[in-house]
Amino acid sequence: MSDPYAGQTAAPARAWLHHLNPLAKLGAVLPAMVLLLFVRDLATPIAFLVLAYAVLLTGARPTARIWAVLLLAIPAGVIVLGLSMALWTDPAQVAATPTVLRIGAWELHAGAFRSGFATGLRLGAILALSLISGLTTTGPDVVRAGVQQLRIPYRFGYTALAAYRFVPRFGYELSVIRAAHRVRGTHGGRGPFARIARGWGYIVPLLASAIRHAERVALAMDSRAFGAYSTRTERHEVPFRTRDVVFLALMLAATGAIFALSIPWRS
Amino acid sequence: MPAVPLLRVRDLTVTHRGASEPAVRGVSFEVHAGEVVLLLGPSGSGKSTLALALSGLIPHSLDAEVTGTVAIRGHETATTPVAVLSRDVSTVFQDPDAQIVTGSVLDEAAFALENLCLPVHEVLARAEAALRRMGLWERRAHNPDRLSGGGKQRLALACALATGSPVLILDEPTANLDPQGTADVHAALAHLAGSAERALILVEHDLDAALEIATRAIVLDASGRIAFDGPARRILSAHAEEILALGAWLPSAALAARRLRAAGIPIGPPDALLPLTADELRSALEETPPGFEARRTLDPPSGSSPVRASKTEKTPPPDADPIITARGLDISRRRTRVLHDVDLDIAAASITAIIGPNGAGKTTLVQALAGVVTPPRGRISADGIDPAVASPRTLAAHIGFVFQNPEHQFIAHTAFDELAHGLRLRRTPPGEIDERVGAMLERFGLTRKADVHPFLLSGGEKRRLSVGTALITRPRILMLDEPTFGQDRARSEELLALFHELRAEGTTIVLVTHDMDLVIQHASHAVLVEGGRVVAAGATSTLVRDALIPIPAAYLAVPPDLRTLLGDDAVGRLGPGSGAAMEPES
Repeated sequence: MSDPYAGQTAAPARAWLHHLNPLAKLGAVLPAMVLLLFVRDLATPIAFLVLAYAVLLTGARPTARIWAVLLLAIPAGVIVLGLSMALWTDPAQVAATPTVLRIGAWELHAGAFRSGFATGLRLGAILALSLISGLTTTGPDVVRAGVQQLRIPYRFGYTALAAYRFVPRFGYELSVIRAAHRVRGTHGGRGPFARIARGWGYIVPLLASAIRHAERVALAMDSRAFGAYSTRTERHEVPFRTRDVVFLALMLAATGAIFALSIPWRS
Repeated sequence: MPAVPLLRVRDLTVTHRGASEPAVRGVSFEVHAGEVVLLLGPSGSGKSTLALALSGLIPHSLDAEVTGTVAIRGHETATTPVAVLSRDVSTVFQDPDAQIVTGSVLDEAAFALENLCLPVHEVLARAEAALRRMGLWERRAHNPDRLSGGGKQRLALACALATGSPVLILDEPTANLDPQGTADVHAALAHLAGSAERALILVEHDLDAALEIATRAIVLDASGRIAFDGPARRILSAHAEEILALGAWLPSAALAARRLRAAGIPIGPPDALLPLTADELRSALEETPPGFEARRTLDPPSGSSPVRASKTEKTPPPDADPIITARGLDISRRRTRVLHDVDLDIAAASITAIIGPNGAGKTTLVQALAGVVTPPRGRISADGIDPAVASPRTLAAHIGFVFQNPEHQFIAHTAFDELAHGLRLRRTPPGEIDERVGAMLERFGLTRKADVHPFLLSGGEKRRLSVGTALITRPRILMLDEPTFGQDRARSEELLALFHELRAEGTTIVLVTHDMDLVIQHASHAVLVEGGRVVAAGATSTLVRDALIPIPAAYLAVPPDLRTLLGDDAVGRLGPGSGAAMEPES
């Protein structure tokens, strides 16, 4: 799991994406991500994939993880999703398109491929766009920007951040509970239903310890004056500068241009 | 004495919401700057409740009915917001993981200061000073998760120091730590104690270290009243027996001295107070009447002759019949080797303690022996089965396993069903189930709780029930991961009495523990695990006599020949029975 608190101090100057305001990065991609949900063609998601890759490859700090995600995970995801969605497509709807594959009486039409890959590429493009913000921003910076620019109450933001610490702890706790239940001989058989029944049994102990843990964390935060005043000192300013405005404007313009050119609603 | 005390408590009575009895009753005391107050008492005596009331978290953050007053530097806690109080009082809690809220060591130290809206330069200056004091400044950029348990608690101390509050409350700060982490935190505390402007209130069960800094002790009884209040050393030595009777802990040196006296070894002049530290115990032993010393070495008393017995142990006979054997056991988790080539024999009907620092592989070792994590085939034989290939049902019939947190193991909705579960899986006839479960409830004092949901039992009852569920299928081996963790002395002793009983019936007990008092006094055998290897194993009396395992300073003060008297086996079973074999050097 990635560390949401990891510092950004080491990002070199040419990794410009790391030095933008988190809100500018979010604002730049959100409209495109939402609009992509309603797109059915191939060109639009491809254009956004190209845009996202261009931004990430020039602006993100090049780490092994980024290369792995961009060059392996996303292409593989698009291909697997595209093929499986192609098989899933209702053949009646694409009967008019040419047949590309025939096995006995079963036919796969070009239209099925088209519609399958439209879905695969769409999700790939949305993911790639989200990575522009996700791979170059830390959790605390998003919270700070939210508090400083959007005036979100800091109590909410920092509590959410503290709660994020619970996740690995619960993962560990769950593995212990599973081992403990296995010792009791509660395997209860194989298959999805037995699995659900087993999972249900983990909930009570997990919840009990989660509530207890949350209470302790809340006490510790209270005792350290959390929520004492309506504001708190912020050691790290997350300014919204000219370059943030420029990035936001350029990205929104690019989004508008792609949609204007492809007019994806037509198909 | 300064005119205004840092802390003034008057007739404080606290009743938790929904509780019928107050947790703290009619408590009054004052604490002045420079004092280090040790707060003692059995569990349920209201130590933690009192600590929360002193910091104002009761009644501000936790709902409770409070009468009487608490004032810190003249501010009444009931009417002053917690945020304002946080400049005067800071708390370090027990669970290191539950008090870290930010992503870096520096952010953590700055957290309270930022909440108090101090200017940035002051936040940084104070955080730096506090972190330097606790030796954490070099690690300021690290994620606190990367610190050890002791390191996390030192960070919590740094956070408290940064606020500059004169009253520091420490609620069992070492209860979740291994001996190394405990020593780490106590070294940090010793560094803070003795400051003329500050007062420390310390709830702590490790009295050996706490006594080095404590100036005063307040002992609470089981009903939440103050039983004793006075200079720490005088209270502990003059009221040792009463404090033990209350169910609270005593320093190891005092416990060791009591054991030696019970075995007929005089400690210092007759009627002398119990020694409280290793040095006192050592000098008291040196002061023993010379006549006795001579008799002891020249003419060891027959019958329970520990001296001679321990000498014959140097050539232990090979154990006839170990119930668990492991040969060449390797275990890896996530591609890292946790256990390396472990060879181990565990004697039948022994109480074997697995000890070692955190992360040494103790838990993995017992989990592998019990088949909780799957070991490689053919390496382990436990009661005649190989846990690598046995089905969970077969395993449960041979080995009972109790996890550290009893709640993790509960799967039924009543205590009765919890116990019956193992038998129903085995298709035991209902009549027999009723009979065996009834007997088990009776044995563990849970008969009246048969229909209660396991999660609603008290801490001690949960622990007993979890042991009961492991025993219901009558396994010959019972394994427990830190069974006394977080329990007071009375509850621990109750559990240990049960283990001795089970052992007398022929059950083999294997337990993981950090509590060296427990190991020395109750375990017949010990296995020291370090870095995934077994570095020492054998009869506890031998290991303790030759100091092959890390033992508290108080026990080291006892001459090696007398150390065998410290264990339960000293009087009863003196046979060496060193069932655990030394691992060959690899």
